[in-house]
Amino acid sequence: MSSMKSTLSRSILAAAFAAVVGVALSSSLAGAATLAEIKARGYMVVATEDDYKPFEFMEDGKPTGFDNELLAEFRKTSPVEIRQQVIPWTGLLAGVSTGKYDVAVTAAMITKERVKSLDFSMPIADSTHFYVKRKSDDSIKDIKDLDGKTVGVQSGSAQLEKLPELEAMLAKTGGKLGKVVQYTSYPEAYQDLALKRVDYVINTIINIRSLVKDKPEVFELGQAVSSRTVPGWAVQKGNSELLALINDFLAEQKKNGNLAKLQEKWLGQSFPDLPDSYEP
Amino acid sequence: MTAGAFISLLQGAGMTLFISGAGIVLGVPLGLVLALVRWGRVPVLGKIVAVYVSLLRSVPAVTLILLIFFAVPTIGPEIGPITAAIVMLTLNTAAFNCEIWRAGLNNFPADQLEASRAFGMTPLLRFRRIIFPQLWRSSLPPLINEMTMLIKSSPAIAVVGVVEITRAATRIGAQTYDPLPPMIVATVLYVLVIMLFVGLQRITERRYGQIGAEA
Repeated sequence: MSSMKSTLSRSILAAAFAAVVGVALSSSLAGAATLAEIKARGYMVVATEDDYKPFEFMEDGKPTGFDNELLAEFRKTSPVEIRQQVIPWTGLLAGVSTGKYDVAVTAAMITKERVKSLDFSMPIADSTHFYVKRKSDDSIKDIKDLDGKTVGVQSGSAQLEKLPELEAMLAKTGGKLGKVVQYTSYPEAYQDLALKRVDYVINTIINIRSLVKDKPEVFELGQAVSSRTVPGWAVQKGNSELLALINDFLAEQKKNGNLAKLQEKWLGQSFPDLPDSYEP
Repeated sequence: MTAGAFISLLQGAGMTLFISGAGIVLGVPLGLVLALVRWGRVPVLGKIVAVYVSLLRSVPAVTLILLIFFAVPTIGPEIGPITAAIVMLTLNTAAFNCEIWRAGLNNFPADQLEASRAFGMTPLLRFRRIIFPQLWRSSLPPLINEMTMLIKSSPAIAVVGVVEITRAATRIGAQTYDPLPPMIVATVLYVLVIMLFVGLQRITERRYGQIGAEA
């Protein structure tokens, strides 16, 4: 049922994005503001998510989490006023690539697909993918036990793009990937995992650690199912001056130790060996 | 669920009521205008309305708001999330309301129209004194029905960052990893909002009478 709904809403969204992108491409006016244009109009529009704990989420109606605290630092150094829009993941990257928002201040995984339409900042964390299972489910002890089992992932996500890596791992032990159920966001996937509609969910180590910390009686952390994956903030493709401004800010945060402090606080550990740029 | 979470849900309910209310206040009269254009067989315009209605009735709410929010600024003025939400709901509900009003107009007794013509009433007077007082009474139940459908399609506006009941519940569930309690409260809030509309319908019907009741 939920997979049907998800497929339906996915095809509707796909149609919507096709239409939106079509209109955007056909218009010469389309395009994000360059840094000079942002300075001229006096403000920058950034978009964050609202249900992406621990990176960005809402506490009593106020945005909080790793990226929001980093954003608070960015406000102090930014040459222009920063206006924040809190929106669901669904329209976020489309909003940046059509120029509605200048920066996606969210932990967006840097993938081969996405670098075609977006430029990414330096990595802000390490978020290699792990699987999470029900604590009560004894049939999964190792990666090879995932053979044929139903997996939940977010639609349009980097996790979905990286599934072939898991497929290759399973193939080595003669197994294969089971049915893939796609969700518009992770809270629904976790709920379905608890309800036994899926057998495991794939997300980043950071998100899963946060989940397992909050619900240790329900969920249990599994093993890594992808190679190294890193997230960064995103701007529209070719908006290099704006990207440079963001990278300068992040480099400064890295140097003064604040980035490591925020990683420690929100993500449970710091990542001192992050590269200054990343090619997926 | 904390008190803060409950307040966010109530704020979401306020947003749902405001956006849906604005959509209804704008969409019901707009639907009537569209219906009159079609009913009066206005050349060219009548055909345009027919195309508009078929188009809008087939576009899902989520698709429509993404189009308005992301595509309109690339060819026209900048548009904020709340404006986009109200425009989307108005355009959508006006198409359905047009068909409700048109059904009422098509079923309007021809003898009354002929009689009013015989008395030399102008079209405007005829509409004001003869058609409209009966038309709105007979159209009220389907109009209220469409209003409740509009409220239930309103969660689509969350995609551009407007926080209504469902999105507020989703946010709380995402923070606590326990989506059930906020979803139950959200369901109760929707039931209350819909009951409010149905209650208004009952009061209006009792006060002004159903069509034919006073005849």
